[in-house]
Amino acid sequence: MKEFQYLRPETVEEAVALRCEHEGRSVLLNGGTDIVIQLRERLIAPEFVIDIKHIPGLNQITFSKEEGLYIGACVTMNDISDNEDVRKYYPFLSEAAHSVGSKQVRNRATLVGNIVNASPLCDTGTPLYVCEANICIVGKEGKREIPITEFITFVRKTVLKPDEIVVGVKVPYIEGAKGIFTKISRRKEVDLATICGTVLKIGDNYRMAFGAVAPTPIRLPETESLLQEKKLTPELIDEAAKHACTEVSPISDIRASKEYRLDVVEVTVRRSLEQLA
Amino acid sequence: MELKYVGQSYERKDAVKKVTGEAEYVDDIRLPRMLYAWCVRSPYAHARILSIDTSEAEKLPGVKCVITGDEYPNRAGLYLEDRYFMAKIGDTAKYMGEAVAAVAADTPEIARQACDLIKVEYEELPGVINAVDAMKPDAPLIHPDLHTYKVAPIFYPEKGTNISHHYVLRKGDAEKGFAEADYVFENSFYIPHVQHVPLEPHAAIAKYDTDGKLTVWASCQSPYAVRQALSVAFAMPLNKIRVISPTVGGGFGSKAGTTLEGIVIPLAKRCKGRPVKLLYTREDEFVNAYVRQGMHARIKAGVGKDGKIIALHNEFIWDGGAYTEYGVNITKAGGWASAGPYDIDNVWTDSYCVYTNHPVGGPYRGFGMCEIHFAIEQNMDIIAEKVGISPVEIRRLNGIKPGGYTGMGERMDVAGLMDCIDQVVKEIEYDKPCQPAGPHKIRAKGIAAGWKSPSMPTNAGSSAIIRMNEDGTFFLMSSGQEIGQGAATVLVQIAAEVLSVSPDKITFCSGDTDHTPYEWQTVASRTTYCAGNAVKLAAEDLVDKVLDLAQIKMGVVKRDLEFRDGYVAHKIYPERKLPISDFALGVSFNDGSGYGGPAIGVGSFTLENNINTDKKTGIAKHHPAAFWTMGMNGCEIEIDTDTGACKVLKMVSCFDAGKVINPTLFAAQSEGAMVQALGTALFEELKLQNGRVLNKSFVDYKIPTADDAPELIVKYVEHAEPTGPYGARGVGEPLMVPGAPCIANAIYNAIGVRFHRMPITSEDILKALKEKKLKQ
Repeated sequence: MKEFQYLRPETVEEAVALRCEHEGRSVLLNGGTDIVIQLRERLIAPEFVIDIKHIPGLNQITFSKEEGLYIGACVTMNDISDNEDVRKYYPFLSEAAHSVGSKQVRNRATLVGNIVNASPLCDTGTPLYVCEANICIVGKEGKREIPITEFITFVRKTVLKPDEIVVGVKVPYIEGAKGIFTKISRRKEVDLATICGTVLKIGDNYRMAFGAVAPTPIRLPETESLLQEKKLTPELIDEAAKHACTEVSPISDIRASKEYRLDVVEVTVRRSLEQLA
Repeated sequence: MELKYVGQSYERKDAVKKVTGEAEYVDDIRLPRMLYAWCVRSPYAHARILSIDTSEAEKLPGVKCVITGDEYPNRAGLYLEDRYFMAKIGDTAKYMGEAVAAVAADTPEIARQACDLIKVEYEELPGVINAVDAMKPDAPLIHPDLHTYKVAPIFYPEKGTNISHHYVLRKGDAEKGFAEADYVFENSFYIPHVQHVPLEPHAAIAKYDTDGKLTVWASCQSPYAVRQALSVAFAMPLNKIRVISPTVGGGFGSKAGTTLEGIVIPLAKRCKGRPVKLLYTREDEFVNAYVRQGMHARIKAGVGKDGKIIALHNEFIWDGGAYTEYGVNITKAGGWASAGPYDIDNVWTDSYCVYTNHPVGGPYRGFGMCEIHFAIEQNMDIIAEKVGISPVEIRRLNGIKPGGYTGMGERMDVAGLMDCIDQVVKEIEYDKPCQPAGPHKIRAKGIAAGWKSPSMPTNAGSSAIIRMNEDGTFFLMSSGQEIGQGAATVLVQIAAEVLSVSPDKITFCSGDTDHTPYEWQTVASRTTYCAGNAVKLAAEDLVDKVLDLAQIKMGVVKRDLEFRDGYVAHKIYPERKLPISDFALGVSFNDGSGYGGPAIGVGSFTLENNINTDKKTGIAKHHPAAFWTMGMNGCEIEIDTDTGACKVLKMVSCFDAGKVINPTLFAAQSEGAMVQALGTALFEELKLQNGRVLNKSFVDYKIPTADDAPELIVKYVEHAEPTGPYGARGVGEPLMVPGAPCIANAIYNAIGVRFHRMPITSEDILKALKEKKLKQ
């Protein structure tokens, strides 16, 4: 890989200043599980690597019913999957975090990195989509928060500006919500998702999101409204599972065909709803 | 005879060093002033190299030397000398990734940057990416000069074709057999390319001294075979080449031949005195080391009403890739064993090794057996069902028994297959239905048999030296390599048994062609057998020499003396004994004189009367195979009918090992083999598209994790191999042979769909279930 200069800011402000100073020539290093691979494969060749891991406060994870869950930018997947509040109030998010890579990867990889990387198959995307999480951003203009659905815009594209840094994610607490995360992969451990999805039940309403079925993780609004305020019956579940397939648009690639992805989206919706019924 | 050390589960000799990270691998070796190499590789599957401009690369600071194919005077290869280590200018690059130039520089990064500056002009040529197409008369020729290549006399390249070997087996009268048969079944199968994925990628360092001595440190299975190939390729005498193989992090065949060693040597030659290191990346492993050849199999079987197989007609077409220096022998091995472990009177087999513009095919655990048995063992189940007998019955009926004959017409005096079948059927409870599974789940069981013999030159040699130290401890020197399979421990146990000392007292020295004695190769599941025989002979030689001295000193006739527990002892009066250490430096007398000198034993082994088969018929005049190792696997699987996911719940293995030298290591080999076979059955395939490997990393090439490993049950039977040390025969590879077809048979038993291709993925299963549903 090309030689680069390694920078280690101590505050968010300093990091933003470095981003401004080296605009277009730097990358942010967090857990590094995506960046280091991109460097090695020469997909990126930055002149500056700005390591945010040592900025105090970014590794915080907090929860209250009022404020919901806050996950700092440097919180690792293992921190999330093992966190007691996450396991109690967002078990589907804990499972999603646990499904990323291997134990070693999860010791480094961060949820924020997973989101900023904006892969269509990001494992932690769909739980955040159904919870309608907000992404907390700091840049030279100050702070802003935007919904995750607006943050990821396309394959590996986000609205993040070159001077900006994601400092955390806010996940609202929804009283009485029950969710199920599913990841279908070629191999159970240490694999990318062939498809992944989260179905969330709030009373008699449902939210669902899927990954690896479109250029970004997506919600399935039609299927959600089909189920709105209804009691689940086998017929309704079947209808919803079939309809879900019309709302996704997967492609065929080396991991699976489009047809298989559609088949397992249907199965995932059906099995999730059956479990939630 | 009661055995003290053979048959015991001694701890691996290399366990602590490997677990603590102390073991030194090639990449751990950092020599003073060492340079690093990187290669320019062909972006085309088949292209003529018109010119190479290295001038810009040479100017880059930190670059010490740039080479192209011009550095290679001769072609080299194990059985067929068909490759330079780098494609030559004017000649063709024959697979996508073939090295066309290389750089040595102060750092790997600089070397890589320099490679970017090398300009290569190619003329892309039509490629051949399917072995069946490659056999057609109008197919582009990958090696137009094939007929001029030097080849071992048992291989038959066909001039003007892409066929580098056509193996023929004609036993009995197949035509007559088919005429007599009540049923004739024909089935085709395809086995894709897979890769070995050893934990440690290939690595090599070369250093060229000013006196003309070349030293190569290589992660290799066979330092002597590497030395031989390098000697031919670079026209160097053998005494000027030293090959050192330190700790090897797994090979599975991929480190059997010579690969990247050939690239670092000319670089080192040009950078006199400065060592040059090349370390393969994982991506290189998938493309530029060896891969398991793809194979198209067609089996026609003539069967009697009772299920007895009367005639077989097999056609195996091997996708050998760009070079088949090694692949020709896999083709031969596949042809040899083409009847499977069955006693069949009439066998007609054609096995073709075919060049394609694919990565280079090479030896992989099983050496063709995993591939042919995927076809043979599914075929057995197909026949059984059509004839109306059980998979167990058809194997009992046709399976080879003592006194039976192999496909090559060899008489088998020892054959433990029937016992293995009994054990597996019992352990897997094949006759009992599976426990009920959950909703949308189906469980089923499957079995498959398999066998393998070492496919090695009939005169392959092994040697060993044992030196006694002054205190009665020993050094055992052999170039039978420890590559993770446990050779160091097993060979020491064999020596310990003869010497009647604890294995702790014997240090194993290996892997240095200047200092450890000749070993043809650590391949073919031959190390316990061949190197083991040499070690046993060396130990017996030492004992014999010491007893010669002891009879003088002790005044006891030699035939009444023996080595016992560290002493030379009288067989009848055990209290009359002297420590063996008394004879370490010879024998000394009261007047101060001495006699005999230091104790050293040597052993050389070549299997006698191991004779090549007939070219026209493939029939053996005597024993062409050193031994056949046979056995069976059973498994139970569970399929999720919604997602197609197949989970292997349990696998059972039982093989006739002849004699198990170390039960723990045997179990480890058995377990590893089953899991590796599971990987090929369910996950593994090199996805090739126009010669490009699409999944050359662990992101998209999946091997089993611990989570995928089922409950593993290991059994063995012991019918001694007459020529094996303590009756042992090789097991490392045979153990993997039945695994994949066993799982495929279980999948058929679960869902009634026969897969004629590996791997059988969740997607394949779900698709098959949907198609089946549509038909109903």
